[in-house]
Amino acid sequence: MCGAHATVRGLLGELVARSALDTQDLVVDMEAGLEHLSRGTGRHVSRFIAVLEPYYRSMETVRRIGDLAKELGIGEMQVVTNKIRNDDDRTVIRDYCATHRLEIIGEVPYDPTLLDAERAARPPIDYAPDAPAIRALRELAARLTGDARG
Amino acid sequence: MSDAIMSAPAPSRSLRLAIAGKGGSGKTTISGTLARLLAQQGRRVLAVDADTNPNLSVTLGVPADRAMQITSLPRSLMERQTQPDGTVKPVFVADALKVVADYGADAPDGVRLLVMGAVGHGGAG
Repeated sequence: MCGAHATVRGLLGELVARSALDTQDLVVDMEAGLEHLSRGTGRHVSRFIAVLEPYYRSMETVRRIGDLAKELGIGEMQVVTNKIRNDDDRTVIRDYCATHRLEIIGEVPYDPTLLDAERAARPPIDYAPDAPAIRALRELAARLTGDARG
Repeated sequence: MSDAIMSAPAPSRSLRLAIAGKGGSGKTTISGTLARLLAQQGRRVLAVDADTNPNLSVTLGVPADRAMQITSLPRSLMERQTQPDGTVKPVFVADALKVVADYGADAPDGVRLLVMGAVGHGGAG
């Protein structure tokens, strides 16, 4: 485990111990890939969410992340699907998730506006606050805060 | 998306989300946008960029000149300490609240951003 990840774990642990996260939401953008996963990081989060795209390699990667999370005792991973273009995408990803018992908590459509924001080096939420993808995430945020689990 | 897809609630007021995915999956866009959306609901939000290729600041909307000045967390916050059982493990020895204050950057809507840093692998810890 490299130093940066140990530092994240240490910091999150201390923030939890000092109740700093009782009144403050935490959003951790994790390392791409699997190597960061450990009990230490997972212990401090209440929802472990993986972003899943409707193509095979993405789905296989996420399934492996989920298996590893379970093995490490981090708990159930949940899934937000992203870049969904049409019903075929939706069907393939829902079928895959059903087969592998992955719980979908949000669906974000493919949205070229996000690429425009990227090109402009602007935050998507400011560039196009009512773009379809942002609207989907706004609904997800509302559900997450409405659901008391945290 | 029906509410039935959400799992059963358990008591907790704050959200603690970790977001993972393949590179290019949109995990940083989703992380940053969720952080801003939660803050826009009036919630206090701490965003942590734990990717060794950190670019959450752009999605959050930290101005580029400010983003350049963000200091990632130094490894000196951790110290290798010998445990009672003789094993050595890294222990966080800094004041966590002060770390958030000193190293955090302000993003729009009151989001606070911490960057763990683009460090190489294979180091101590």
